[in-house]
Amino acid sequence: MLFRKILVAGAMSLVATGAWASCAFENKVPLKSLSAAFEAWKAVTSAMAECGNFTAELDQEFREKQPAAFAANPALYQIGGVANSTMVPLLNAGTIRPLDEYVAKYGQQLKPNQLIKVDGKTYAIAMMVNNQHLMYRSDILEDLGIPVPKTWDDVLAAAEKIKAAGVVDYPLGGTFKTGWNLGEEFVNNYLGEGGEFFGPGNSPAINNEKGVRALEIMKAMTAYMDPEYLVSDSTYVQQQFQQGKIAMANLWASRAAAMDDPAESQVVGKVKMASAPMGSVRPASSLWWDGVVFATNMTEEQADAAFRVAMEGLDREMVEANNDVAVWLIEGYKPGPAAEGAIATANNGAVPYPASGPMGIMHTALGNGIADYLKGAKDASTTLADIEAAYLAAAREAGLVE
Amino acid sequence: MKFRTFAAFVAPSVVMMLLFIAFPLVSVLVQSFFVTQPVYDTVEVETCTPGFLGQICTTEEKSVPRRDENGRIVEVTRFVGLESYRNVIEPDRFWAAVKAHSWAAVQAIDFWKALRFTLMFTLVTLPLVVGLGLAIALAINNAAQAVRGPVIFVSLLPFIITPVIGALSINWLFRGDGILTAALEWWLQRDIAMFAQAWTIETLMVLYRVWHVAPFAAIVFYAGLQTVNQDSLESALIDGASRWQRLRFIVIPHLMPLIVFVAIIHLMDTYRVFEEIVGFSSQGHVISLQWLTYDYLKPDQAGNRSISRASASAMLTMIGIVIILIPLLRRTWRDHRRARA
Amino acid sequence: MTARALRQPLSLRLASGGFLGLWCLIAAFPIFWITVMSLKAPIDAFSPNPLHVIFGPETVARGQGWSILDMLLGAGVLYATARIAMHWLPLAVRTWTPPGFAALGWLLGSAVLGVGFVVAFFGVLPAVTEVLNPLAGPLGRDVVGATTEHYRTVWIDRGFANNFKNSLIVTTGVVTVSLTVGTLAGYALARAGTALAFWILIAALVFRALPHSVLVAGYLPVFINSAEWLSPILGENAPTLYGKPWAVIAVLVAINQPFTIWMLRSFFQNIPADLDEAARVDGCSHFEAFRRVIMPVMWPGVITTGLFSFLLAYNDFLVTSLLLDASNQTMVPAIAGMFNRETTTTDQVVAVAAAVSITAPLFLLVMVFQRQIVAGLTAGAVKG
Repeated sequence: MLFRKILVAGAMSLVATGAWASCAFENKVPLKSLSAAFEAWKAVTSAMAECGNFTAELDQEFREKQPAAFAANPALYQIGGVANSTMVPLLNAGTIRPLDEYVAKYGQQLKPNQLIKVDGKTYAIAMMVNNQHLMYRSDILEDLGIPVPKTWDDVLAAAEKIKAAGVVDYPLGGTFKTGWNLGEEFVNNYLGEGGEFFGPGNSPAINNEKGVRALEIMKAMTAYMDPEYLVSDSTYVQQQFQQGKIAMANLWASRAAAMDDPAESQVVGKVKMASAPMGSVRPASSLWWDGVVFATNMTEEQADAAFRVAMEGLDREMVEANNDVAVWLIEGYKPGPAAEGAIATANNGAVPYPASGPMGIMHTALGNGIADYLKGAKDASTTLADIEAAYLAAAREAGLVE
Repeated sequence: MKFRTFAAFVAPSVVMMLLFIAFPLVSVLVQSFFVTQPVYDTVEVETCTPGFLGQICTTEEKSVPRRDENGRIVEVTRFVGLESYRNVIEPDRFWAAVKAHSWAAVQAIDFWKALRFTLMFTLVTLPLVVGLGLAIALAINNAAQAVRGPVIFVSLLPFIITPVIGALSINWLFRGDGILTAALEWWLQRDIAMFAQAWTIETLMVLYRVWHVAPFAAIVFYAGLQTVNQDSLESALIDGASRWQRLRFIVIPHLMPLIVFVAIIHLMDTYRVFEEIVGFSSQGHVISLQWLTYDYLKPDQAGNRSISRASASAMLTMIGIVIILIPLLRRTWRDHRRARA
Repeated sequence: MTARALRQPLSLRLASGGFLGLWCLIAAFPIFWITVMSLKAPIDAFSPNPLHVIFGPETVARGQGWSILDMLLGAGVLYATARIAMHWLPLAVRTWTPPGFAALGWLLGSAVLGVGFVVAFFGVLPAVTEVLNPLAGPLGRDVVGATTEHYRTVWIDRGFANNFKNSLIVTTGVVTVSLTVGTLAGYALARAGTALAFWILIAALVFRALPHSVLVAGYLPVFINSAEWLSPILGENAPTLYGKPWAVIAVLVAINQPFTIWMLRSFFQNIPADLDEAARVDGCSHFEAFRRVIMPVMWPGVITTGLFSFLLAYNDFLVTSLLLDASNQTMVPAIAGMFNRETTTTDQVVAVAAAVSITAPLFLLVMVFQRQIVAGLTAGAVKG
């Protein structure tokens, strides 16, 4: 990461002298964007800013602000940064515009893969993908003669061996923090078992064998995890890796680069990436994308300028300067060793996160409800039944279920 | 004071409170009796999203909100009476659990789980804050004049520190192999995980809150100690009262109004306990009433929020606080009558 | 009181002193510890070995550290600052400020002191030690790892200076408006024994009980759309309230009003009503009586109440994080953002440095106002 910082710093100083990747046109229309605040957005928005007259707001409350700010007329922001799930409310409210004419005009360099289409119309331009996949300490696995785990059974068997050998404090790490993280773990495993979340009319359908199996896998993992797993988020798991406390985890691809950062990591070069462990049907992971959307409530002139500015942010130079910040979808990206796991997971058949209105509610209910099972306060099917009940109460209030 | 003068003096303050608190409060009250929802149509939608190399397209039935000719989502609002309150309290489940004599089943219902912790937290921290505050105040009052300034300064630190930062520091100190957990482990010679079970987290929360609020109590009590009537102390001394008796019968009664004041402020604030839950990320183990409100209110990724249940839960929290405040209200009324007489 | 009453057995004095010492340790430890962490390289800062955190071997290995000489000089600067804050500043303010402008004098004095400290500690001190260290032999060798790079990252690269400015705007606004509005109301409420006054006080109490998250979530859509719904009244110039510091100031003042008027009311109740009655007999209006008679004696209570307003505004997270846009963001949401997004370990130490940076002005403030707080409370700002 230090290396990356030097790179970025170097890039910035070059910008100042005007020798690097200056914007292809000079933007005259004042534009603003609202997005999440992680590293990739910083890279993209600072590339956009080179066109001038552009302010980026990287805000951790973007999820709450975006729907209202885009619904205002005129919209407070012209450009929005979204992921598959956070696009749903904007799309439902009709506050983001179809982009096909702009893509035809300015989007020659875009790959077809980047166009997020709903009923044939492009509504967003994706810039990167992210998913959870297996990271493991290659040195430990080699010492103990363990092959790279492919399924959850392999992972658990390997964890048992590592525990017996006493090499690390806890063989497994996991982003099991109650709330969104824990919900996401279940979603991954349930998708891995081939489960469907909803029946007809948005009725919940998770209380079945696949759901129980997903819970059981999670519970089996906790036996090898730090007992404080209910508060461990991805930053914490990443830190556990860096400090050499864990040997394996199904962790976000965006975290991979940090393992080899000499300023933080004590295990540089020892963490390798592989596909997410296979469930019964497919890898226990879901595919996410991040990308840009454009407000409906703005003038044609603004829309035109906004799209052009965004294209400058999503160009080859930006990717070349920030290659390891994310798994980019943009032309010019060279997948390094850090991206191997993410790609293997996708190639093994992981499916996109099933973002939708009801899924937002389901995810929250899962995140709040699973802890009781892991703590042993409820059995698996009671837990799932309670989660379904919580989902129904919220979905009825939202008008999604009769 | 004439009414017009009075009105002129209080108007700015009252207007601001009406505009920014009373008005939203009324709308919360109204919302708790109504439910507003979009009208959904079920349509088949094809969505294409990126894999790594190729695109993945899925066609599914989705609920899409209906929009009017201006592009706004069509919403219907209907009166539901107390249904939102019922959805929060879940009386049927509660009675079933009570009839089954199952504490675990009661604690499986969010509202009752939150109420249990909120009450415990409020009632346990109160005596600790008052006691510790009093002890610190007496100790400062007992210290040499020269060190009082610095000691008051250090004592006030936990009170002034930004709550978000305070909770974070506790996290750094105790989380995983945080420095204080490591110290405890070394002292007790066993592995300790402070965030792995409910009781340790609750203990940490109580300790944190006491640490944070006791200085406020201490400084108020210390100020009160400066005005203790020296004559009565002296005559008590002549009567041969022991140190303890003097404390018990002269100092404490003198401080009583201040103790009540601190207790009331503390009760109001702890009943709304929220920062600790977020700061210690304890949702998996314990939740509080205000956290529950916040959880209903916070939009999920798809933008859904349970406004009606959040409003109901907020009203219930307020009712709880008003019940706690009744003793103070009666006292204020008496004072007021006296002032008028 | 007689000497006999003051005499205490040694055991009691030891116990009392020991207890106080222990309390001070507990009170200061977390803040001390995060300060130490903020000065270390990430590996040291999150090391499970406390000695590593304190001495920072990894940080020293990178050639960043303090020698004994550095620490002695640093301690000297800190001590001098504390000394000035606690003794000279009050004296200077009393001597130099014209009566009635005490508050302004205090603000100016504290600001000068704060800037002076930053210049001395981060500007002059490193320059001096750089020259002296090579001359001092073993005393000049780095023994404790320490680096200010995280502070540089926070204040320069992350633009924390801008957040600091925004915090300053919001807190100044809240304190000024809150006290102006609150003193008037508090005075009237203390003097009027009517049922209306009583009910206003009770309503204020109930308002204080409302969970803030509900209020704030209600404001957001209204604030964002304000240009639309205000346009029938204000026409073209209707502002968007969202993101405007003054809108947030208004909200925070309102939220803080209940506490302010209660505090000030009890304070005014302790100023004998005869004082202003006498002025009224001399032919003053209520407002004149307030200005001539009450204002000169109300400062201790106002300063104390003002400090509470300051803390509320400075420490607020809920209101500021939702209602301000990124360019007007204050410090507390900014630092929370540092944690909530995908962070690396370095980011975390940077956030620790930010946490210390937020606490530092509070530190200075309490150092300066510590006597006034006690004086204000003693004068009766809290009588229940």
